[in-house]
Amino acid sequence: MATQRRTGGDISVTAASHIVLVIWSFIVIVPFAWALVASTKTTREIFGDPWSLPADPQWQNFESAWDNNVGEYLLNSVIVVSGGVVLTMLLGSMVAYVLARYPFPGNRFIFYLFASGMMFPVFLALVPLFFVVKSLGMLSTYHGLILVYTAYSLPFTVFFMHAFFRTLPTSVAEAAVIDGASHSNVFFWVMLPMAKPGLLSIAIFNILGQWNQFVLPQFLSPDKPLLTQAVASLLSNQRYRADWGTVFAFLAIAMIPVIVAYLAFYRQVQSGLTSGTLK
Amino acid sequence: MQHGKYRFIVGFLVAPLALYAVFVISPFVQTFYYSFTNWTGISPEFDYVGFDNFEFLWKDDLFREAFFNNLVLLIGLPVFTVLLALLFAFLLNVGGTGAGVRGITGNGFYKLAFFMPQVLSVPVIAVIWSVIFSPESEGLANSFLGWLGLGPYDWLASPDMALYCVLWVLVWGSVGFYLVLFNAAMSSVPRDIFEAAFIDGASRLSTFVRVTMPLLWDTIQTSWVYLAILALDAYALVFVMTIGPGGPDNSTQVMALRIAQEGFQNGKAGYASAMGVVLFFLTLIIAAVLLRATRRERIEY
Amino acid sequence: MNAPRPYPRRVFLRRAGLSALAVSGGSFLASCASGGSEDDGERSGGGQEQTSENPFGVDAADPLHVVIFNGGYGEEYAKFHEELYTTQFTDAQIEHEAITDVRQQMQPLFNAGNPPDVLDNAGAEKLPISTLADTGQLTDLTDLWDTESIGFDGMTVRDTLHPIAIESAEYAEKPLVMNYALQVYGLWYDRALFDEKGWEPAETWSDFMALCEQIMSDGMAPMAHQGKYPYYIQQVIIDMAVKHGGHEVVYAIDSLEPDAWQNDSIRMAAEAILEIKNGGYMMEGTEGLDHIQSQTRWNEHKAAFIPSGSWLENEQASVAPAGFATTVAPTPMLDGAALPFDCTRVEAAEAFIVPAQAANQAGGLEYLRIMLSKEGAAKFTELTMAPTVVNDSAEGIDASPGLASSLALIESGGDNNWNYYYPIWYSPMDPKIQTAVGELAAGRISADEFCDRCQEAADETAEDPATQQRSRP
Repeated sequence: MATQRRTGGDISVTAASHIVLVIWSFIVIVPFAWALVASTKTTREIFGDPWSLPADPQWQNFESAWDNNVGEYLLNSVIVVSGGVVLTMLLGSMVAYVLARYPFPGNRFIFYLFASGMMFPVFLALVPLFFVVKSLGMLSTYHGLILVYTAYSLPFTVFFMHAFFRTLPTSVAEAAVIDGASHSNVFFWVMLPMAKPGLLSIAIFNILGQWNQFVLPQFLSPDKPLLTQAVASLLSNQRYRADWGTVFAFLAIAMIPVIVAYLAFYRQVQSGLTSGTLK
Repeated sequence: MQHGKYRFIVGFLVAPLALYAVFVISPFVQTFYYSFTNWTGISPEFDYVGFDNFEFLWKDDLFREAFFNNLVLLIGLPVFTVLLALLFAFLLNVGGTGAGVRGITGNGFYKLAFFMPQVLSVPVIAVIWSVIFSPESEGLANSFLGWLGLGPYDWLASPDMALYCVLWVLVWGSVGFYLVLFNAAMSSVPRDIFEAAFIDGASRLSTFVRVTMPLLWDTIQTSWVYLAILALDAYALVFVMTIGPGGPDNSTQVMALRIAQEGFQNGKAGYASAMGVVLFFLTLIIAAVLLRATRRERIEY
Repeated sequence: MNAPRPYPRRVFLRRAGLSALAVSGGSFLASCASGGSEDDGERSGGGQEQTSENPFGVDAADPLHVVIFNGGYGEEYAKFHEELYTTQFTDAQIEHEAITDVRQQMQPLFNAGNPPDVLDNAGAEKLPISTLADTGQLTDLTDLWDTESIGFDGMTVRDTLHPIAIESAEYAEKPLVMNYALQVYGLWYDRALFDEKGWEPAETWSDFMALCEQIMSDGMAPMAHQGKYPYYIQQVIIDMAVKHGGHEVVYAIDSLEPDAWQNDSIRMAAEAILEIKNGGYMMEGTEGLDHIQSQTRWNEHKAAFIPSGSWLENEQASVAPAGFATTVAPTPMLDGAALPFDCTRVEAAEAFIVPAQAANQAGGLEYLRIMLSKEGAAKFTELTMAPTVVNDSAEGIDASPGLASSLALIESGGDNNWNYYYPIWYSPMDPKIQTAVGELAAGRISADEFCDRCQEAADETAEDPATQQRSRP
């Protein structure tokens, strides 16, 4: 492995890099931290004195959030999103893989069919969707929401995983085929593991997207509310009753599972990054 | 040729396609149908009106203004997001000192921090930034610029600045994810390739431009298209953050907001569906054009 | 990669095929959904003997579905009303829902033809009421108006209601909407602060300017407004115009008469707002603040006046410091005003409807009658500190400053008080007017331009064939 002497140019590049990165870190962390601190303030402090710390941390905001069923909503969201993301990644990669690696008549059509699903404003389709879900008897159920979430996450997942599968080297797959592996074996045991970094990043994005989704459950699950749906309701309710402290407490609670999931996945992505050469 | 190739293809496609057809395609198609009616959205009764909605849409000034605002976002969002994400990916992976291709120290911290905006949902982001962009001189943005001797500015209250504030927040909220994505794509590239370029004496920058980017091209292209779609569909952020919403003076009016306003507040769901259909075809055309224009040969290795 | 092919066209053709399929499928759905939705004049529910205690013949065995908007007024009052209902109709099952997303949850019910029996249609996600009225989806309330009221001997329900409630209920001369709460608009201030400083709300324009000067020199901004929602400052403009030119000003606007917005009174009111803005009397940065932010500043005495309605006190209850006395002042009179100082816009809001397709219309009507009873109305005011449309229902209640001053203004204004309806009647027009108001209040356009833009919006609405034209008086 060749080595290079550390040059002056090297150091200044590094320094400049750090400066840029630090600036962006600041831009990114400050708003986030503000939201967290706001969960301990009173409404008056949040808007009257936005940039100072609270005089008296209002931990009762969290109690108030708990009394407003934040625990139940949290559980509902966790169940639905876990199921939804698993199913999405499974079905999405299956479709993306087939479309990326197997030419057949109708391949491009099916790809565009999925991709075009992203191009339509979802809230227009809500009323017909409501009736479809209702006729299947799936309103306000976990499985109903999971299936709908999966269906609406497929376009994005297929679109991105398609790109990932296309960047994978064909050599390894060919070798496996020569060894006598079936198509599905190649997929599950060779290609999927190779696409792990892609899978993980798309999975993270799906977790986020599904977690933060509130329009679909508002219409389809009024009796089994999800956390973000409750937050969105609270936010729109603020026109009538100013209780921002509780809203931000809800938000802080809502952030936690996502951060946990990211940290858990992130170490996986990180190890993917340093694994380097593929055999 | 392997056996059972078509059986495999069908087997893998049946379940997802069925799910998709029932929950996505069927409602969308019904919406297409509604665009030819005068459905109010709150009644099971309505009449077929042919292309009336589309004719009206053609003359709708407000929709046209919204369209042009979306164009601004369409250009700005992908450009700035991809550039920033690539820049950070570059710095994080190649900006380090020392031997070979090394990431920068503090790598882990940066990657974690940059991802944080993704964790917040859109209405929350909108609230936070509207407080930062407060036109009062004690607002965060204004007091910060005040130290530099600039401002104070009206930000979201100014018809000239508001749209760019919206663009900024969209970029801010998107960079984190694309950074993760580009990092992941880069990690699929075997390290040997980078090392080889270095041995050949390439500088970090030219390695990045000549080696990394082409290998990432599929991902960049996909990201570009997706960001373009986001720009055309921007709704929640505009709704919560802007004056009016859509203002001041329609400067932040966007097509998706028009659809929501006509469909939900004005009882014109048929008309809104027509707008949705137009938006859909617009998006399809733009996506197709972008995919074509950025197409390159797949690099096999 | 295959050779390039015209994908979009191929996809489009296939999609056209799908659409054809969908059209036939869609019409099937429509025919399914629209079965039995005609309002044939027969009232659903009821069937019991109609007596003076039970004028609609309500059957206690029929369930009642009540949906309340859980916003500024909460839902406690509704629970009380439901208790009154079950006291009279023992064993009646009431399904009570208090929600904030009215549209999200009600839209599917209306489309499926089984809406609730009573709906409190309010909030940011309310259903467009004029559309409901125009498509025959609301029950005619005439019988309710003609019935004997509960708690006011010898008076019909109509007799007990404030005239503005009667007026605002009507669509095509039929009462279809029961607006329950009265909302008083004006300039709000802290009575305690004004007493301390020796200030008084000004009656004439020149006095108002002098007062602003005085407030400024004391280090406070005379006025703030909710810049993010121009609806609030718009109130002030129209109020001053009506006070100057009389009720005809809004009659013309509501009737979409040509040149309604070019009225001199409106121009003068626009000039007045510009005077405030250009004189530096508007709180700095107010154009970018939403209602909570600006009202919070006002609670902190950063501004003396803020335009709003009588919900303000309740809305800021958790924010206002102790001793803050939310009080309403009428807008000042411009030179040559036709109406006296002591009157203002009084709106009947919080719309309660009984959908035409409800399963228990009779029960719904009876429930409304209970809401309008002396006891029912008094409870609402007691719980929310807001006046109802029922006259004298607030007797004996220990009124907060906000409520007391609102009631006083309703009283003193009498017939001079007015209301206007164009935001509800012509909902596409309102956002355009608000946009113009926003520009005016920020001082970016002149009064003439303001009138021109509003007139343009009104003319567009008048020419749109989809607009249902209505007229006043």
